[in-house]
Amino acid sequence: MRYRPTFRLTEFNLLLIPGALAIVGMLTIFLVGRGAVDWTWRDIWVSLAAAGALIGTSITFGIRGFRGDQVLFPITATLAIIGMLMIQRLTPSLVEIDPNYGFLATRHLMYLAIGLAGMWLVVMLSGPLRIAEHLQRYKYLLLLLTLALQASTYFIGDEVGGARLWISLGPIQIQPSEISKVTLVVFLAAYLNEKRDLMEASWRLGPLELPPIPYLAPMAVMWGASLLTLVALNDLGPALLFFGVFLAMLYIASGRMIYVIVGLLAFAAACWVAWMTFSRIDVRVKNWLDPFWDPYGVGYQPVQSDYSLASGGLFGTGFGLGHPTYISQVQTDYIFSAIGEELGLLGTLAVIALYFVFVIRSYIIAMRAEDGFVQLCVAGLATSLGIQTIIIIGGVLRIIPLTGITLPFISYGGSSLVTNLGVVGLILYMSSLPRRA
Amino acid sequence: MHTALRTIFIMIALGLIGWGLFTGEDLSDARWLAMLFGAWVFLLLGTRIPLPSSMPTFNHSLIRTALVITTVFIVISAQLVRVQVVARDDIYYKTAIAPDGEIISNPRLTASKLNSQRGQIVDRNGVVLADTRQEDGTYIRYWPVPSTYGVTGYYSPLMYGATGLEGSWQRELSGETGTNAIEHTIRSLLGMPQQGANLHLTLDSYLQTSAMQMLNGSTGAVVVLDIKTGETIVLASNPTVDPNQLFTTGTDPEAATYWQTLLDDPETPLVTRANIGLYTPGSTFKTVTAGIAIEEGYAQPDTVYTDDGFLDIDGRILPEYNRPDDTRDQWTLADGIAWSLNVVFAQIGLQIGGETYWQDAPHFGFGEEIPFDLPVSQSQIANNRGALSDRNTVADTGFGQGQIQITPLQLAMIAAMWANDGEMMRPYLVDSVSSPSGSTVRTTSPKVWKSPVSAETAGKVRDMMVNAVDNGSIQNAKVGGYVIGGKTGTAETSDDRAHSLFIGFIGDPEPRYAVAVVLEGGYGGENSATAIGRDILVATIERRP
Repeated sequence: MRYRPTFRLTEFNLLLIPGALAIVGMLTIFLVGRGAVDWTWRDIWVSLAAAGALIGTSITFGIRGFRGDQVLFPITATLAIIGMLMIQRLTPSLVEIDPNYGFLATRHLMYLAIGLAGMWLVVMLSGPLRIAEHLQRYKYLLLLLTLALQASTYFIGDEVGGARLWISLGPIQIQPSEISKVTLVVFLAAYLNEKRDLMEASWRLGPLELPPIPYLAPMAVMWGASLLTLVALNDLGPALLFFGVFLAMLYIASGRMIYVIVGLLAFAAACWVAWMTFSRIDVRVKNWLDPFWDPYGVGYQPVQSDYSLASGGLFGTGFGLGHPTYISQVQTDYIFSAIGEELGLLGTLAVIALYFVFVIRSYIIAMRAEDGFVQLCVAGLATSLGIQTIIIIGGVLRIIPLTGITLPFISYGGSSLVTNLGVVGLILYMSSLPRRA
Repeated sequence: MHTALRTIFIMIALGLIGWGLFTGEDLSDARWLAMLFGAWVFLLLGTRIPLPSSMPTFNHSLIRTALVITTVFIVISAQLVRVQVVARDDIYYKTAIAPDGEIISNPRLTASKLNSQRGQIVDRNGVVLADTRQEDGTYIRYWPVPSTYGVTGYYSPLMYGATGLEGSWQRELSGETGTNAIEHTIRSLLGMPQQGANLHLTLDSYLQTSAMQMLNGSTGAVVVLDIKTGETIVLASNPTVDPNQLFTTGTDPEAATYWQTLLDDPETPLVTRANIGLYTPGSTFKTVTAGIAIEEGYAQPDTVYTDDGFLDIDGRILPEYNRPDDTRDQWTLADGIAWSLNVVFAQIGLQIGGETYWQDAPHFGFGEEIPFDLPVSQSQIANNRGALSDRNTVADTGFGQGQIQITPLQLAMIAAMWANDGEMMRPYLVDSVSSPSGSTVRTTSPKVWKSPVSAETAGKVRDMMVNAVDNGSIQNAKVGGYVIGGKTGTAETSDDRAHSLFIGFIGDPEPRYAVAVVLEGGYGGENSATAIGRDILVATIERRP
């Protein structure tokens, strides 16, 4: 049964959308750039390759007899193709500003290729390697890895724009928080699954009903690590993400709101202290409420982002016809504004709908799963992607203060793209595991 | 939680969002965010649906989490709708001043200006007055007939903005409106530069240039209107500005230097006198006094007044300098127009009285906003109603001094009205607007703006003005073969620079064109204002018989 080939028809059909999008989008970029109907096959070979890779992935899944979810990959692929097109479209405009940006488009394609290959490998090899079993067994190793990754940025990290988010490994830069995000979720899933029954119980101390404190100890370590991340990295984004994921998983595993409420209060208190202590966070709060207080200084990006989103209107200026590069570093934190400018409200709503469907679909996969660890792992990974999306889009739209974090699958950035595609691979693999009756 | 309660919570949440989106136009970001968070809390409460207790804890809490994520995505969508659609214009056009005094505005605004092919402005004969040519990808605006600055204005998007038609017809010229909606959408979808609509004027650039030459460097204004339609044939103001020197594609020190000389020039060349300049009308206003007196029944052209060289108004002696015959002391109203007798008109003014002046002045457009394609300064009969309770002010008003302020354009409108059976036409410059492909998008049709007097009264004033040319003090305005009527004026100003004015009309004999001329400082006196008025009227009627 394991190797009985199949044709993944739903997935194949859905993949026609990102495939066509890649080709049409790339053609648009070249036609707009030239201002004339003049193109060659060379212009779109990348898109043809991408479309081929997507279809090929689906077909090889089928040949391998893979029977996992058929919707998640097309959603991911659509978001990744939107990201690819956006980076291809932004690169020439960015090069006009600074020739050093020339590498962006090629590098992003490289990361995308690596990420897709990684996802494929995860799906293909997780079964034979009994990955779920190993992840559970070595959970404390994952905890250590998480902490080490977090600490590494503090000790050997490069400071970029006041925040330490990167470490250099030879020629490539890695954003450890993107990787530790995943190891954290997997650790929590394994730990909470093991202690699930105990977490639901409670201690009585006189009239007070207390959570099972001893089992919360590793949690407290994680919470401390999150706060240390905040302090050490001098940035709110990853800390908010870690803590959000941590609380969500605690709640999902135990069903007890009290964790969430206490956790949020504690985090709020910590944020307040941080706000009072760190000028960088104070600046972010000011930018959040009124970026025009310093429109040519630290408020420059949010002001330009507002202009960019507003110029999109309902339908957008059209792909390649806006001026999103007025926002500096638009390719990372603010890529959602570029989508808003060129694809309009319809485009931005479509993108957030894709993320929403991604999360909900993953939750359904989690609920169908038989194994407790798989349940928690899938739910946690999906939640981490959802929270990450909410944090960055909320920040770009100035619903919350902006925190430097990537938009999953879309932003420029190798660590983020490769890791998140790997996460999709893991969820896909887990969706093929035995289901509840 | 009860279903009804949940429904109420959801309604409150949606209500808050809807209210914030659609009525809170001036809502500050912080307030809107507070409302959004409030709405979110209600959404959280409203989505706490009951779940069966038999459900496993995991499913139970995952569904709750999914609902929370759903509410957050609703909040994000609401914010998107606000930023991209509802408050779009407020954000797009928002400008602010940085702490260092620099102004920040959306950089797309200037970029789009240099990337759009602005429409042409052409005169009534198709002579191009403003056009756009492409150089190295940017569109350069230029004005082949710089003497028409008073009409076209300048266009300097990166430095000084726009004035004249370039300013008041900005939206049409830039293609924002006025062009074919389908064409506009197609071009915007294809990313082609927008093409602006073209303005076809009533102006005759040849006559405009002639008028500028007649002014011969003097500070002043000449306005020629078509009596029957209100078409503006000439709208000349001197000194003028070369708009070509103010257009820049970046920051241009030469333009800045030129701008500074314009600002420093005591003759204020940036002020287009024909529509912006306010002048005391002097004796040209006697036509209005005569019109009101006849219309209100105080006098007729043959009503006789005593003018023996001076008039005592409550102890102030008003001298008379204009009598052609110092021995004669009985003069009719018509004589008063023909010889511009101040003593006669002071008496008529007092007959009319301040209150009637105040009541009737708006019928002639005083204190009213004149509908025109360019901004027009608001005229006045007096500083306020109370000022007209002073008899001396009323007497002065009778012969056009006092506190009256009026633009040359309105003077021409009044002159035309006398020859148009008392109907004052709405003046206009833009005859039609055409889309870039050449099809006419809209045309202006002549409209009566005011009817201050009856046709009979107007005819009487018209005849008196013709009589002034034929038999009175301005016989130098007479030209064989045409019916010409006119009235001169000298405006005494506080700085001892009397301005010379002339209003008049020409017909063959059907009334055709009306004119108003103002010469600041009165170089050459009333005679040269009259000569300019006569020459431009004749030039106009001969060019367009």
